[in-house]
Amino acid sequence: MDVILSNIRALVPGRKQFHLDLRRFVAEQITRSWILMVWLIAFTAFVGWYTIGQLSAAPGSTTTVLIIWALTVYMTVISELQKDHTPLTFWLKENMYNSINNVLVTLFLTLLILAGVRAFYSYAWVNASFETDPITSNEERPNEITVDDALAAYRVDFSNFPEGSSLPPRVILENAAGTPIRQVTLTKSADDPNIVIEELEDIHTGASWGSVIENLPNILLFRFRDPVIQWRIWASIGVLVVLALPSFVVYRGERYRGTTTRRLLTWAWVASPLIIFGLLYGLTAEGPLQVVDPDQIWGGFVLTVIISVFAIVVSFPIGMLLALGRRSNIQGIPWWVTYPVAIAITIWGLLTTTPANLEASRNTAETILAYWPLAVPVLAFFFQRSFKGNVVAAFSTGYIEVVRGTPFIVVLFMSIILFPIFLPSGWDISGVIRVLLASALFSAAYLAENIRGGLQALPNGQYEAADSLGLSAFNKYRLIILPQALRAVIPAIVGQFIGLYKDTSLVYLVGLFDMLALANGISSQNNWLGIRTEPYILLMVIYFLGSSLMAWYSRRLERQLGVGER
Amino acid sequence: MTATNTKSMGEDVIVCHDVHKWYGDFEALKGVSMRVRSGEVIVILGPSGSGKSTFIRTLNRLEEHQEGSISVDGIELTHDIRNIAEIRREVGMVFQQFNLFPHLTVLENITLAPIHVRKWSRERAEEVGMKWLTRVGIPEQAEKYPGQLSGGQQQRVAIARTLTMEPKILLFDEPTSALDPEMIKEVLDVMRDLASSGYTILAVTHEMGFAREVADRVIFMDAGQIVEENVPSNFFTNPKEERTQRFLQQILNH
Amino acid sequence: MAQGSIDPSGRRFKLPSLLDVRVLGVLAQLAFVVGFILVTVWFINNILSNLDALGESQFICIDGSSKPRCSFDFLSSDAQFELAETPIEYDPADSYWRALGAAALNTLKVIVSGIILATILGTFVGIARLSKNWLVANIAKWYVDILRNTPLVLQLIIIYFSVLLALPQIEEAIKIPGIPIFISQRGVNFINATFLPSAGVWLAFLVLGLIQAQVLWWILGRVEEQTGRSQNRFLWPIISFLAIAILGWVFSSNDTNQSILLGRQLQVEEISDFETLMLQRYDVNTLGEIDMLVANEVMTQDAVDELALSLCVLRDAPSEVNFTAQLRQRGIPYTVRRLSSQSRATSSFADGDCEVYVAPTAVLAGERDILENPNSFLLLPVQEAPVRWSIPRIEGFNFVGGGKMTTEFTAVLIGLVLNTGATIAEIVRAGIQSVSKGQSEAARALGLSEGQRLRLVVLPQALRVIIPPQTSQYLNLAKNSTLALAVAYPDFWNIANTTINQSGRSIQIMLIVLAFYLSISLIVSLMLNAYNRRIQLVER
Ligand SMILES: Nc1ncnc2c1ncn2[C@@H]1O[C@H](COP(=O)(O)OP(=O)(O)OP(=O)(O)O)[C@@H](O)[C@H]1O
Ligand SMILES: [Mg+2]
Repeated sequence: MDVILSNIRALVPGRKQFHLDLRRFVAEQITRSWILMVWLIAFTAFVGWYTIGQLSAAPGSTTTVLIIWALTVYMTVISELQKDHTPLTFWLKENMYNSINNVLVTLFLTLLILAGVRAFYSYAWVNASFETDPITSNEERPNEITVDDALAAYRVDFSNFPEGSSLPPRVILENAAGTPIRQVTLTKSADDPNIVIEELEDIHTGASWGSVIENLPNILLFRFRDPVIQWRIWASIGVLVVLALPSFVVYRGERYRGTTTRRLLTWAWVASPLIIFGLLYGLTAEGPLQVVDPDQIWGGFVLTVIISVFAIVVSFPIGMLLALGRRSNIQGIPWWVTYPVAIAITIWGLLTTTPANLEASRNTAETILAYWPLAVPVLAFFFQRSFKGNVVAAFSTGYIEVVRGTPFIVVLFMSIILFPIFLPSGWDISGVIRVLLASALFSAAYLAENIRGGLQALPNGQYEAADSLGLSAFNKYRLIILPQALRAVIPAIVGQFIGLYKDTSLVYLVGLFDMLALANGISSQNNWLGIRTEPYILLMVIYFLGSSLMAWYSRRLERQLGVGER
Repeated sequence: MTATNTKSMGEDVIVCHDVHKWYGDFEALKGVSMRVRSGEVIVILGPSGSGKSTFIRTLNRLEEHQEGSISVDGIELTHDIRNIAEIRREVGMVFQQFNLFPHLTVLENITLAPIHVRKWSRERAEEVGMKWLTRVGIPEQAEKYPGQLSGGQQQRVAIARTLTMEPKILLFDEPTSALDPEMIKEVLDVMRDLASSGYTILAVTHEMGFAREVADRVIFMDAGQIVEENVPSNFFTNPKEERTQRFLQQILNH
Repeated sequence: MAQGSIDPSGRRFKLPSLLDVRVLGVLAQLAFVVGFILVTVWFINNILSNLDALGESQFICIDGSSKPRCSFDFLSSDAQFELAETPIEYDPADSYWRALGAAALNTLKVIVSGIILATILGTFVGIARLSKNWLVANIAKWYVDILRNTPLVLQLIIIYFSVLLALPQIEEAIKIPGIPIFISQRGVNFINATFLPSAGVWLAFLVLGLIQAQVLWWILGRVEEQTGRSQNRFLWPIISFLAIAILGWVFSSNDTNQSILLGRQLQVEEISDFETLMLQRYDVNTLGEIDMLVANEVMTQDAVDELALSLCVLRDAPSEVNFTAQLRQRGIPYTVRRLSSQSRATSSFADGDCEVYVAPTAVLAGERDILENPNSFLLLPVQEAPVRWSIPRIEGFNFVGGGKMTTEFTAVLIGLVLNTGATIAEIVRAGIQSVSKGQSEAARALGLSEGQRLRLVVLPQALRVIIPPQTSQYLNLAKNSTLALAVAYPDFWNIANTTINQSGRSIQIMLIVLAFYLSISLIVSLMLNAYNRRIQLVER
């Protein structure tokens, strides 16, 4: 041991003394418990095994990592021994090498990340193709496969394969192989009685970004990319920009507080969804703002934005009313009204409907159901006990809880299937609008809970102060309660909006052309058969950027609201 | 009762008769009867949980009483929203926790109710509000937010807010209990000032000095009942009831 | 003091004015009720007229008439669609009821396993986010960020199409060395425990063992309290539990129920004699050489099967599992014919289709007497173990034996677990962070060990913060399981949707769907509320 120590000392260009209590170090880092010891041995072996594997897979980068790792560990150890840390070694000691275990974990994770990055890099860049017209680009590399090869490779039965079949050969091969094959053509050779399959394999084995590049306008704008109506998108964005720019000045600081400018701007913001809706939906049967069929025209990222924004805008007032309704403590229907009515209904039901139903009942379930009037007093009892006869609170609570218990996708299907049944037969609402309404009604329930949280967080004193000043109930909520409660729940509402933004990806299941539907569609385009991953990656990026941007903004807002005015 | 009044006092402005109040099964007020004449300053004392807050909060309908009658300024306190609104306009209340509106500036806090309840113009409300802010000694804080003020300043803003409504009666519920000692004086000074300018005041407070000095009458409550009503000089030196003596002993020994 | 001079109006009954808050309240309520009823009536009117337009098929009864009470009768008719996977037996000729029931079980399967796995994953990641290692903390953070900021359905689709379907085919299934798990495009096949009838007895022993261990633990605790001497409160209960478990195993492993019937000419007296028999047949020194013969193409697989021990098995006989498990242990090749009825099995055996007849002892004893020359047959008992491992192996183009998770199920499960795990990680992290540093320091100051500090101080307080949001995450998982539709996993919603398309009864099915998911929500929140209350009680 002494030999090693003196060697280390010799390595260090320093005058300072080491403070190494080896026994204590071993006791703290290794022999503290036998579980730790076993773990360290096993983990060391594993990391060693993995490192060797990586060394053979990618010698260059692995060696670099190993050298850097060894060097930094060495530096950190020396600095620690001398109790003289540079900022770097101190950070390393605190965050990377704070125990033997972490020294190993750091190495392992670095190598793991490196392997992942390497794999993705070669998939997404080195081996990737950015060609938007794959067929022409690959024609030079035919690769012949005979029927026998194909049989061996894919266990495909070509005996029934009709000559000049219109079925794309790659579909057959794919079915047989179970995996997508990029490019195949099938021809009948003249001198060989066997069918010869020419497989035009892609030059690249990585991503086909061409599929994404070619479809990008489609995914973003869908049919709005038609130049005749495309200007409406830009006009909508323009409206937002025109409103946003002055907002940065007007809503910041005290200068414009309570001024007409600020009030006007606020009203403009409130009206902007209507204007933009008018632009995107259209106003007249003819002319530049011709009404479009949203089922045909709205799609892609535009549809995602439309649904999430309008759902949140529409759901806001509904959610507010529901929240106030659930918390309302107005005088309920008194028990001496509820109970007699309930009992009257029960008696009436038992006398008039039960005998007939009993007669007609075909099984036990129907027999039990025939006694439905007995449930009425029970319900009345719970109604009085839980809601003190307050119908508004009962309705709001029921609505909120039922909607929150129902999956969004069920709500979407209900809107598509049940709206036509619930509305008079003449009313023909397009699918997109149904989904829009359903999303709004759905998110209203969640919004209501958020707002209720904000209301509950308000101290009772605020209500009392408003009351004692003689404010009317309407003014109390308008001027005192809601401004505070809503401000407190802005982050929650942004969170709700992010949820909606992500949830719009479900509308493809009810047949709308959102981004996901279009991405799925790529895999059946002739040029890009079977290509799925690339468009999915694009969508991941779009959703991730959108959501994290909003989440970041919401956090900033939270911080801003935390200080200053409170 | 035999109050020896030093000030000239007018009509009865508050008349309570046998007021009962239940919280569920718990009876917080067990038949409280009293009357307050215009211009009187009354301090309510009593041990914690005796129903002091509950009582003065029933006077402006922050709590609803179930039995008995209360009439304020000749208006009977019923469930009728017109009566309630009327009474709240005439009765101002100052809370222990100030209950300022944190999202409004001090001046907005003060002018809010006059504008929306009394339907004053903004100019008039601001003029009167500034007058009261000056009176409580903090006109320079008008544009700040409540969160930026000290506790004593906040309580003075709360008093100014109440007074801008020009109420006839003022209710104080332990206005100094949430304050540091040096701030208590600021608030008590304002209260003294108000007492001497002829407001009818009902105050729950543990400030014995204030009670002795300013009150026309002291009311001692225990367990939801009025145990003793007396002029301060007698109350503190020569209480009638044994329960009062025990209470006084307890607080004076501390 | 003031008496009698006031008008005691409080006692008098007065008609409340119209502006009385109570009257206003009730009026508002009544207006709401009336409005509600009007809207409902309007809806019902629309529904009725729309249904009229659809024809009366919605309410068709079995006898052909049409009454509203028959709205749900169609559920008893044949479903006529396949289910890709079912936990219970199901056939397209079964009713919609059964289809929906099977699908409901599929949903429950996803929810229960998802909740358990997501909790484990979320807890680990939540702790990892607080790791002292910068890399670990940041990887955890990125995992959480990416999963939480992208839509679940997209994640599911990527997992399904881009990951799971890109896995190798069955023949090249990924094997994890040492662990019998096979991962392929068609799902995950894994080793699985098969419970035989005697497992019931053994489980009873296990329960007994658990109870006594608990009692012993408690008694040792009392002794510790009274004598003040520290007792080994973990070792003894564990030892006694193991003892009882082993005892139970021996006790329940009986050999009276399960038997095989075979001809005496095979010269097999015990099961180990099969080994010698096979060595002779294949003319090898060890049974392991048979595989070599196939690999070196000396012998074809068909030839091996030709010589293998042939069994006739009465379908569903537990003795098959027991017997074949023992054959596999010894490496004896065998072929199985499963026969569905006793008479067919016996005649098959009598015709010499197979050498060994596997069935319960009682059956074999009876059937032996029917055979022509009963004494030339030997009834050999088979040792039954309560639980046996079933290891998957490839037969033809499929795996047989073991447990299986289909690709669709795996995709839904992974997606839900990864997604919910990310949210739970955030909740756990916030929970742990909510326990103030002071608490930990106080615990250390009291001299509690690290483990005690976590268990007694940090965890109970963190749990109080963690559990309410956790509940809503579990509910979210339950609701999100409906996204199985995107990868065609036959969950309840998927099959309900199929049923709507097939039968056209949208209102009825939607009602059932609502009832199903609402009751799941209700049950999960009731259970967690109860747990929550317990935690809060412990707190006090
Ligand atoms: N909202 C309520 N619900 C139930 N009981 C209440 C409520 N408010 C007050 N009480 C009870 O009524 C009694 C009187 O309360 P009150 O607040 O009037 O006491 P207090 O005299 O003001 O006491 P303190 O000096 O501590 O403020 C107490 O016993 C209290 O527990
Ligand atoms: Mg009080």
